[in-house]
Amino acid sequence: MPFCSQFIANIRAARVGEAERLAINKEMANIRTKFASPNLSAYDRKKYVAKIAFCFIMGYKQDLGHMEAIQLLTAQKYSEKQIGYLAVTLMLTENSDLLRLVVNSIKKDLDDRWDVVNCLALHTIANIGGDEMAEALAPDVHKLMISPTSNNFVKKKAALALLRVYRKYPQVVPAQEWALRIISLMDDGDLGVVVAIASLVLTLAQDFPEAYETAYEKAADRLHKLVIGRNYDTRLYDYYKIPSPWLQVKLLKLLQYYPPPEDTAVRRMVEQVLATLLEMQEIPRSVQHNNALHAVLFEAINTIIHIDARSMLATQSAHLLGRFLSSKETNVRYLALNTMAHLAARAETLDPIKKHQNTIIMSLRDKDISVRRRALDLLYSMCDVDNAQVIVGELLNYLKIADYGLREEMVLKIAICCEKFATEYKWYVDTILELISAAGDYVGDEVWYRVIQIVTNTEDLQAYAAHTCFNYLKSPTCHESLVKIAGYILGEYGHLIANEAGCSPYEQFQALHAKSNFCNANTRALILTTYIKWVNVFPEIKPQLMTVFDRYRHVLDSELQQRACEYLAMAERPEDDDLLQTVWDEMPPFPERESALMNRLSKKHGDTGDRRTWIVGGKEAMKDAQVTRMKSLKRVTTNGTPTSSPARNRPHGAATGVPNGTTDIMAALAGLDMSGGPSVNGDHTPVLRNPDIDAKYQKLLYSDSGILYDDVQFTVSIKSDYRMSHGRMRIFFHSKLPTPLDALTTTIKSAEHDHLTFDIRQIPSTTVESAGHTMLEVEFECKEFFTQPPTLHVSFLTGSLTTLGLRLPVVIHKFFEPIQLEPQDFYMRWQKIGGPPREAQVFFPIVLNKRGDVDTLGQQAIVTGARIRCLEGVDPNLVNTVGAGVIYTSATGKAGFLVRIEPSRDEKKCRLTVRCTSDAFAPSLMEYIRGLLTAK
Amino acid sequence: MIRFILVQNRQGKTRLSKWYVPFDDEEKVRLRGEVHRLIAPRDQKWQSNFVEFRNYKIVYRRYAGLFFCLCVDANDNELAYLEAIHLFVEILDAFFQNVCELDLVFNFYKAYAILDEIFLAGEIEETSKAVILERLDYLDRLE
Repeated sequence: MPFCSQFIANIRAARVGEAERLAINKEMANIRTKFASPNLSAYDRKKYVAKIAFCFIMGYKQDLGHMEAIQLLTAQKYSEKQIGYLAVTLMLTENSDLLRLVVNSIKKDLDDRWDVVNCLALHTIANIGGDEMAEALAPDVHKLMISPTSNNFVKKKAALALLRVYRKYPQVVPAQEWALRIISLMDDGDLGVVVAIASLVLTLAQDFPEAYETAYEKAADRLHKLVIGRNYDTRLYDYYKIPSPWLQVKLLKLLQYYPPPEDTAVRRMVEQVLATLLEMQEIPRSVQHNNALHAVLFEAINTIIHIDARSMLATQSAHLLGRFLSSKETNVRYLALNTMAHLAARAETLDPIKKHQNTIIMSLRDKDISVRRRALDLLYSMCDVDNAQVIVGELLNYLKIADYGLREEMVLKIAICCEKFATEYKWYVDTILELISAAGDYVGDEVWYRVIQIVTNTEDLQAYAAHTCFNYLKSPTCHESLVKIAGYILGEYGHLIANEAGCSPYEQFQALHAKSNFCNANTRALILTTYIKWVNVFPEIKPQLMTVFDRYRHVLDSELQQRACEYLAMAERPEDDDLLQTVWDEMPPFPERESALMNRLSKKHGDTGDRRTWIVGGKEAMKDAQVTRMKSLKRVTTNGTPTSSPARNRPHGAATGVPNGTTDIMAALAGLDMSGGPSVNGDHTPVLRNPDIDAKYQKLLYSDSGILYDDVQFTVSIKSDYRMSHGRMRIFFHSKLPTPLDALTTTIKSAEHDHLTFDIRQIPSTTVESAGHTMLEVEFECKEFFTQPPTLHVSFLTGSLTTLGLRLPVVIHKFFEPIQLEPQDFYMRWQKIGGPPREAQVFFPIVLNKRGDVDTLGQQAIVTGARIRCLEGVDPNLVNTVGAGVIYTSATGKAGFLVRIEPSRDEKKCRLTVRCTSDAFAPSLMEYIRGLLTAK
Repeated sequence: MIRFILVQNRQGKTRLSKWYVPFDDEEKVRLRGEVHRLIAPRDQKWQSNFVEFRNYKIVYRRYAGLFFCLCVDANDNELAYLEAIHLFVEILDAFFQNVCELDLVFNFYKAYAILDEIFLAGEIEETSKAVILERLDYLDRLE
């Protein structure tokens, strides 16, 4: 029997609210006296705190028990602690002063050896953690998350507690520094841990896309294992036969925060996964199975659209979405409409969507308002010049019967479509005025301001607009917004139609004046201004207008009164005075400005924990976002200069429930902009240099295979072969450990990523068995001359995280090819190339060998090792070395070059001459070869 | 992320509430009322399980007399959260052996403990029913 059930039963027995309150008050008074007594047993304390907590849940706030709850935190028994923590999370919020008292207890519990206690403390941080907790406890939470001794429950909860801390107070989480360690947890064997970590990584990757770049590969790998390999504990993590749909969704979302992968290996994995998901059209066995299936499917389609809206998969998805539009299930229709709006925002052409235009219009009459909203969004997104008339017409029809909650948004969207896609003025004016007359109260001021702006700036429109407005004025009922527009437009352009039959100044005046009586003060003020404009252009109705001004001099509203007096005074000035004419001359066109309508609409996008990757409104709305979105993550160097993008460092307020408007959305997207050049990230382990590593590296410069790195745990060896401007390298990782090595992560960085590109063909497996090995395969392409070798960054888990940075022996001479030349050919070519600029020459000091001679053999070995043919019998001086080779680059072409090295023993100097068929390469080649010759 | 979780009966009495974003007390009362009024009249057969709410959306499902509502961001995956609700309900059902509204009332502290094993910090924490139930069993036996 659960405890304090009697109390709960009593409260439940109270039939009326008042009796309930009484029962609670009585019990609270009793508890108050109990708390005051000195000998309160631990059990009683727990019981009473539980009762108070129950009252909180019922919605009765109590101002007692806080201290007792905090006392319970220090209890030894789990049940007491648990009630204590529950009460604390219910009674305190992240801003409570009392939270300070709790921090110490939590810290102690985080340090406890018992995981159950750790978990309770982590729950509290994840539930009510604020700034103070964040500052005091972030390092402890992180420690628990990465500690090899933490069990899975602690790891999961710590990851999410850290997420909470980061969202509240990002400054205390060195997210970039911790990136590698956090990402390595994505390889954890326990899927529960992976689910929790995926949430954390998803959030951090949005703020630090570069530092968390490797998470992409991990996500792709994990998805592949889930969807294709089915390589997990299916007994635990299958949900109605679907591999943890929640994890799949998280990982797919992560993929949507990065541009499409560049490396073949990763791209292939992602494509395979997406294709498989798209084809998983099983016959649903249950509601749950069906929902889980579709949850993943729709996320996969979103990912497909994100990666490439023109791909085959995207076409297939569009087809599928079309089918879903007329699904029997409301949920599926809703999602299909929503996902199609995403497609509309990304696709090159709207044709696949337009095919379903009628179905979508029908969805406006769905039984569910949620579906109707999505249909509205989609119609708005798919509207273009071709279908604007149809769509706007349908929307206008629907507007008259639409839900009240939907109308304001509809009006805005119709007005925007109208403005953006109007091909004829007449249609624009007719539609927008019809819109205003139909929606009336739901028309925001922005809408009619915008109409006037457009009419003023478009001369051809003015007479027609005046005419139409006048017709509306003549109708028996006319909404006030229309009166305002009509008032303004007739004031400005009434004279344009004054000669037409039935539109004389007097008739215009009568029509407007008849409506003014039903309008509020604001509108009347506007109408007074119209009248004074008329005084200027229609002298024939001046007496009537003067009477109106005179009458308005006595109204109570001070604004109206003032206007009437001023206008009257102006109108009474003598005929020859040009003040009236100057002041009330036609308005000049407005400066071109952004439509306020768009701003108004985008305010509707609420704040979200995860940033939006697309927004409703088709391509137009995406345009600004597009600039920053698709820029690919540049492969950057480890020795770059630090830059900090302001967007990336901005306090992460979005998740805390602070509403953010357009500017924030844009700022958020700006965070994806990688164009700021190379930046220093926590994930780039510094390149390791020591004599042993250097020697191995040097040796590999002149050979195609060998050992790159070796220590007690781990060996890295490579095999490579080069053909012209391409090279293929296989990098092997051998484990020497007695236990498996986990979370192996490898990244390759090229300092000159435009000159030396690479493509990872195969990624190594994340786990290496004891004494086993795995392989990374990468293809290099030399586009242009480069000087910096790429670097390989390796990290793995053996309890703690080991990181390693190594230079890869990929240098320009790997893209050389030796050329055999006969002496006469050599001379001929040497002469043909000639002097500068296709020649580069330098003198440099040399070191003589022990016998005091020039080390010609050594020099020749270097030249040969650098894939340049040493030519014999060319130079009569045997100390000299001559060679020939070809350099291959894919972007700047190939070039033949000749080398001559002339050392002098007496001067301890050496002259190096390089002649190359391309003057672009000569100096760089000379510099490079000199570097080889002088290297120790 | 999940902004809040509400479990309410048909009369609108809240049986379980979890707030992952700080709201003050009046706001919480308002939210409970608004959500109930939004969800309760919706048709089960013809209407979806999602409905826009302020700048967010509510993903909900009705089990007998109880509405389970998650308030999530506008760009979150609806069906994934819908199934998260079902996972939660299945676990409650297994733990309380045929759960009913009264179980949530009398064992309110256990209900909250269960919630913390499935959702944390506004995210899904564990998705394996077996793992969660085993853990709950273990915790239940502690004293």
